[in-house]
Amino acid sequence: MPGNPVTYEPQLSGGLASALRVRRRRGRAMAWLVGAATASVLTALLAIPLFLLASLLPWQGLPAQAWAHLGVLLEGTLRAGLYAVLVAVPLGIATAMFTAHFCAAPLRAWIKPALEILDAVPTVVLGLVAFATVAPWLKAHVATLLALIVAIPAVLLAAGFLFGARVRAEGWLPLWLLPLVVATIAVAAAVAAGRHDAAIVPASPWNALLVGLALGFAAVPLVFSVAEDALFLVPREQTQAAFALGATRWQALVSVLLPAAGSGLVAAALLGASRCLGETMIVLMASGNTPLGGLAPLEGLRSLGAELALGLPDAEPGGAAYRTLLLAALALLVLTVLLSSLAGAVRERLRRRLHAEAAPT
Amino acid sequence: MTRRRLDFAGTWLVAGAASLCLAALLGLFALLVACGFAPFWPAPVEELRLRDGSVLLGEVVGGDAEALVLRAGETDRIGAGYRRVPLDAVAARSRPADAVLFVLADGRRLFARAAGAEPAVPAAADGAPPREVLAVNALGPFERLGVFARRIGRFLATPPLASNLDGGVLPALIGTVVLVLLMSVIVTPFGVATAVYLHERTGPGVRAVRTAINTLAGVPAIVYGVLGLGLFVHGIGAGVDRLFHAERLPLPTFGGGGLLWAALTLALLTLPVVVVSVEEGLARIPASLRAGSLALGATREETTWRLLLPAARPAVLTGLVLAVARAAGAVAPLMLVGVVKLAPALPVDAAYPYLHPSRQFMHLGFTIYDAALASHDTIRGVPRAYACALLLVGIVVVLNLSAILLRNRLRERYRALET
Repeated sequence: MPGNPVTYEPQLSGGLASALRVRRRRGRAMAWLVGAATASVLTALLAIPLFLLASLLPWQGLPAQAWAHLGVLLEGTLRAGLYAVLVAVPLGIATAMFTAHFCAAPLRAWIKPALEILDAVPTVVLGLVAFATVAPWLKAHVATLLALIVAIPAVLLAAGFLFGARVRAEGWLPLWLLPLVVATIAVAAAVAAGRHDAAIVPASPWNALLVGLALGFAAVPLVFSVAEDALFLVPREQTQAAFALGATRWQALVSVLLPAAGSGLVAAALLGASRCLGETMIVLMASGNTPLGGLAPLEGLRSLGAELALGLPDAEPGGAAYRTLLLAALALLVLTVLLSSLAGAVRERLRRRLHAEAAPT
Repeated sequence: MTRRRLDFAGTWLVAGAASLCLAALLGLFALLVACGFAPFWPAPVEELRLRDGSVLLGEVVGGDAEALVLRAGETDRIGAGYRRVPLDAVAARSRPADAVLFVLADGRRLFARAAGAEPAVPAAADGAPPREVLAVNALGPFERLGVFARRIGRFLATPPLASNLDGGVLPALIGTVVLVLLMSVIVTPFGVATAVYLHERTGPGVRAVRTAINTLAGVPAIVYGVLGLGLFVHGIGAGVDRLFHAERLPLPTFGGGGLLWAALTLALLTLPVVVVSVEEGLARIPASLRAGSLALGATREETTWRLLLPAARPAVLTGLVLAVARAAGAVAPLMLVGVVKLAPALPVDAAYPYLHPSRQFMHLGFTIYDAALASHDTIRGVPRAYACALLLVGIVVVLNLSAILLRNRLRERYRALET
C-alpha cells in the first residue's frame, strides 16, 4: 500500500492523535477486506481450470469410443462455429466500418445501443426463433437463402454504382437502404412462397446452416463493438490527412483506416469465433443434436456445449461418462480461452500503438 | 468517374450491412411481439363440414399446403384433440356465431354449439368449474381485448397446468426474480471490492487480477455450469450434507442442484460485467475530487469509501443492472445446477426460513427451452415458449435500456463536474 509521497506527521494532543490512529486502523482494515475479497475472486476464477484438471487426474484413461465421440463433438462444434463466423464476421465488420467512418453522429448514437440490446437478447430466445420459425421455412427454401446471400450485396453494389452520386447524406444511408434490403428479402420470400426448392433438400430441418445463421446473428453485436472500437480509435488526423490529399471517404477507409486498425478487426473476428464456439443454447435448440462429423452444411450436428447440457446432469460422478464430459468441458475452455486471450493481446497491442501515435510529440 | 462510382458502391455495401442488422433486429422484435401475444388472443372457433358428412368443431392451429391442423375438443386428456384434416376433404368452413369455447380448469379445451339454448357446462375430472366459457365468434373487438387482457393477467399470476404446457408462469417468474436477486446480493460486494482494488493499487497483483477477469469474460457459460455442478453441488454441497444433514442422506439437501448453487454460478458468470462497469465509473471521476479529499486530510480509504464510491454509485447500479440482464438470460449453466421443468414448491414462501436456498426452482428461460423442445405437444408448447420469450426479452430489454440511460446520465454528470 503506497502512502502519500510526503507523510506529514502532525503533533497532536491525546484525543486527536488517538482518533487519527483509529481512522488509520479502520483504513487498514478496509484495505485488507478489499484485498481479501479480490483474493477470493481470484481463487474462484482459478478454480475453473483447477477443478477440471483435479477431477481428471490421476488419469484413468477413457475407452476408445469415448475418444471417437469427443472427436465428433469437436468437429460439430467447429462446424457450427465455422458457419456462424462466416455470417457474423462480414456483417459485424461491415457494419462497424460504416458506423465508425461514415455514420452521422445522431444515427451512430442509435445504432450502437440498438446492437447492445441485440447482444442482451437471451440466446434461448434466438434458439427458439431458429427452431420454431426459421427452421420450417429454411427446410423448404435453402436455395432461396443462398440466392439472397448473393442478391443482397449485388443489389446494394448495383444501387450504389448507379445512384451513389445522387445521395448527399451518406451518413444516413442505412435508413434509406432499409426499405431496399427489406424489399429484396420480401421479393425473394414471395417468389419462394408455397414452393419447395427441389434443387437443395437438407438432410435435416435442424442443420449446420440454420445454426450458423442463428449463432452468427447472435455474435454480430460482439464483432461489431470490438471492430468499431478499433476503427474509432484511429486518430482523426490520419483520415483528415488522407482527405487533404484528395481521397474520398471510401478511399480513406480502405487506404488509411483499415490498415491502421486491421489487427483490431482480426481481434474482433477471433472474439466472435470464441463466442460462437462456446455458445450452448442456440446450438442445443437449432442443431438437432445428432452426433455427425464432417463439414456438411445441411446435416445436423452435436456440439461440446450441447453434450454437456444434455449429458452432465445424469452422469454418475467419477464414472467414465462423467470424465468424458469433463474432458469435453476442458477442451471447450481451452479452445475459447485461447481464442479470446489471443484477441485480447492483439487488441491491447493495437490500443497501445494507436495511443502512442495519437500522443503529441 | 467509374472509380468514384465503385467507391459509392462500396459505401452502399457497408451501409447495407448496417441496414441488414437493423432489419434483422426489427424483424426479431416484431416476430416476438406477434408470436408472443398471439396465444392470448381469442382465436375463432371454426366448423368444418367434411365431404363424408361429418362435422368438426375446433380451432385451426396450423397447417400446410395440403392439410389443416384442427384442435377439436380434448375430451379425455389435454393434447388429445388434434386432427390433421386434408384440404380436399373439407366441403365447407364456417365460423358459427353460437359456437362456445370451454377452457376447463385442467387446461383442456372443449367446443360446443349452443343452438339457442344455454349450453351444458362440461366439468373437469375433479368437478372444478371451467376457467373460461366464451362465445368466441360473437365477441366484439372490445370484448376480445378484455379476454386478451384477462388471459395475460392469468398467465402472469397463476401456476402452470398439464406438466407446464398450459396455465401460467408465476413460479418460473418468481424463480427467475429470486435467482437474480440472490445473485446480485452475492456478486455486488465482490465485484465492487475487486474494482476498488484494481483502481487503487498498482503492481503485479493488479495485472494478475485484470488478466483473470478478462479471461473470465471469455469463458463459455456452460463451463460455469460444469464448475457449479462439479464443485458446488457434488463437492461443497455433498460435504455440507454429510456434516449437517446426515439424517436425510442419501436424499440430497444441498448435494443436489438448487437455488444457492445456481446463484453462485451466475455470480461468477456476471462478475466481469460488474467489475468492468464499476472500474470504468471510478476511472471517470475527476482526479480533482480525489485530490481535494486527500488535501483536506482524509485517508486513502476514507476517500475511496466516502467520496469515490458514492460518486460512482450509478456505475455500480449500471453494472448490476447489466449483470442481472445477463443472468436472466443465461439458461445453459442453470440446466446443470438445479433448474427443473416443474418444481414442487417455490424457493420463497411463508414458512421459516422464508428463503429456501437448497430447493430446485423453475425459470422463464428454461421454460422456453422445455416448452418448445422437450414437450410432447409442440402445438401448445411453441406458442407458450414464445409468450415466455416475449416476457423474458421484455424484462431484459427494460433492464438494459435503464442501464444505458443511467450510463449516459452519469457521463453528463461527470462532464458537469469537470467544467
